[in-house]
Amino acid sequence: MQKAERLLDLAAFLLRAAEPVSWREIQEQFPEDYGRSSSDAAIRKFERDKAELLELGIPVRYVAGDEDLGAGYLVDREDFYLPDLKLAPEDLALLYMAGSAALAQGAFPYARDLAHALNKLSFAARAPGASEAAAEAAQHLSSDEAVAGAEQGEVAHKLELLSQAVAARKRVHLVYAGAERRVRTERDVDPYGLYQAGGAWFLAGHCHLREDLRTFHLRRIVSLEVNPAAPRTPDFKTRKDFSIAELATREPWEYRVHAPVRCRVRLDDPVGPEVRDSFGPRGRWGVDRHGTVVELEATNAEALMRHVLSFAERAEILAPRGLRKKAAAALRSLARGSA
Amino acid sequence: MTRRPAPSKADARDRLRRVLFLVPYAVRHPGIPVRDLARKCGVSEKQLLEDLDFLLGVGCPPFAPDDFLDLYVEGDRVYVALHQSFSRPPRFTESEAASLAAAARALGGEGRERVVRVLRDSVPRDRREMFEELLGRIYAGSPPAKDSLLGKLQRAIAERRAVRLRHYTASRDAESERIVHPYTLAQRLGHWYLYGLDEGRERALPFRLDRIRECEVTDQRFDAPSASELSGARLFSEARGTPVRIRLGRQAAAWALARPGQLQVVKRDSKGGAVVDVAGVSEEWATRFALSFGGDAEVVGPAPARRHFAEAVRRALGRYG
Repeated sequence: MQKAERLLDLAAFLLRAAEPVSWREIQEQFPEDYGRSSSDAAIRKFERDKAELLELGIPVRYVAGDEDLGAGYLVDREDFYLPDLKLAPEDLALLYMAGSAALAQGAFPYARDLAHALNKLSFAARAPGASEAAAEAAQHLSSDEAVAGAEQGEVAHKLELLSQAVAARKRVHLVYAGAERRVRTERDVDPYGLYQAGGAWFLAGHCHLREDLRTFHLRRIVSLEVNPAAPRTPDFKTRKDFSIAELATREPWEYRVHAPVRCRVRLDDPVGPEVRDSFGPRGRWGVDRHGTVVELEATNAEALMRHVLSFAERAEILAPRGLRKKAAAALRSLARGSA
Repeated sequence: MTRRPAPSKADARDRLRRVLFLVPYAVRHPGIPVRDLARKCGVSEKQLLEDLDFLLGVGCPPFAPDDFLDLYVEGDRVYVALHQSFSRPPRFTESEAASLAAAARALGGEGRERVVRVLRDSVPRDRREMFEELLGRIYAGSPPAKDSLLGKLQRAIAERRAVRLRHYTASRDAESERIVHPYTLAQRLGHWYLYGLDEGRERALPFRLDRIRECEVTDQRFDAPSASELSGARLFSEARGTPVRIRLGRQAAAWALARPGQLQVVKRDSKGGAVVDVAGVSEEWATRFALSFGGDAEVVGPAPARRHFAEAVRRALGRYG
């Protein structure tokens, strides 16, 4: 019997059983699959099948017998069927639109699983109302042929491999082209997590080349290989203090490049909410005689300089002095037309 | 080269996952066209028919005639009789639920943590810990607006109620008030938009969520937009006008080209720099974009855009006097 067929037959059989099914009975019902080979080999085969069913969301478990019931395998129906999630209409809409827009990006961790999850949502509520139509529109409007080119396909493929590696905690080997684009490095990385910032995906993990936590832009990963040995045995433990949200919400001037320096930036009034937000939640705002001033701690001051320059004449760096000089020099060089 | 997983194993798994959804879905929609069912399952019609063929062989010991799935295709429609074992799909796997929860957290809304809890509880009991673990490993983005605003919009979309918006338009640096029939929320190039019919302008438009200053859900209900209206919709029209040309130094090129966006590479130089065109943007946007590379990029054309850039640089330099 083909494996897919065997797994489905087995699932149907166990789901229908009123009581735990003994190993002997399973062997009798699937003589070709588990009955013929030596008993150890048959059990190993069954255990592998059981593990695959678990991964598909079919919780097969073994129950030790007692006075009333014999020992055997069963699928707890309560634990198998997707229940009605009893979501409020707005919460169902949230899930539908968030999932559909994510899927339409063309690259998302566990994207295949996400597609299955969205399908299953139609069983999760009695009446999907306007949510299903909104989800279809979200998917249609969010997909972009111009962006979804070959490169996005590559990112999607890397995300898929890395998602699996993150879940199974398997080490990956990367060839990485740094931002300079000139040096390619090879390294082993323990993949801790994946995050999206500014529309791009990053891998965060412990880098064995630098022996430190590092982040990697997926588009700059030239090639990657997941450790193929012992796929079900984790290769590493994740550092306890690791927080993907904290890493992902760092402002560019908070990347660890140098020791912290206090920076001050002046902005012309009125400062709109978008501008204020663009300095992140950790800026301390005040005013001086000439306008609004924001104070920030930077560990990558050049990134802050770039951000301030993007406001052209409406902002300037006040401190530190060195950074102010650097900004002036960059503008002078542009004024000379020698970018 | 990046290695791809062996297809056969993944295919078998994929098929199983598909049919565990397909059977209850077809039961619930008797006579669903092959085409619609295939689309719902994300496969070609040919593949769907192969799945149905596969299902014909699926039974349950002792494999008497009644133990097989009762399924047939008539014309181009699929009929599956209610099946004892597969009346509903399985619960979410931990990665299905975690992926959906990560997407929900990135959009946000008043129900954000509520739906994460519900998703957790919809995973088989002994996989819930793994769900938490996985969700802690994915961060798909920060919500584009306050939960309260998103919550209102999600409710209005679900209940098809019009909203009254105060919205900021960056290109005109002005705020305006409108009545909008909210159809959906969508995401492009890192930004979220409300897409809906603007009553005043009598057409559907995108509104960037981070520029909605106020929102009020009204009692006014609206009719669902037609399928054709939605399927033809676009968030942005084709970019028009002369593109702005920007020269990027080596480092600027490495950054800019790794971001998703609308940059068209015109040429690359041997040192790693590049000349790019950007269509459909204002001179102001192009200037800010070039300056965001901290001196490693400049607007080179057309002449008015170049002038705008040069003026901005001159005035900015004035502040450092």
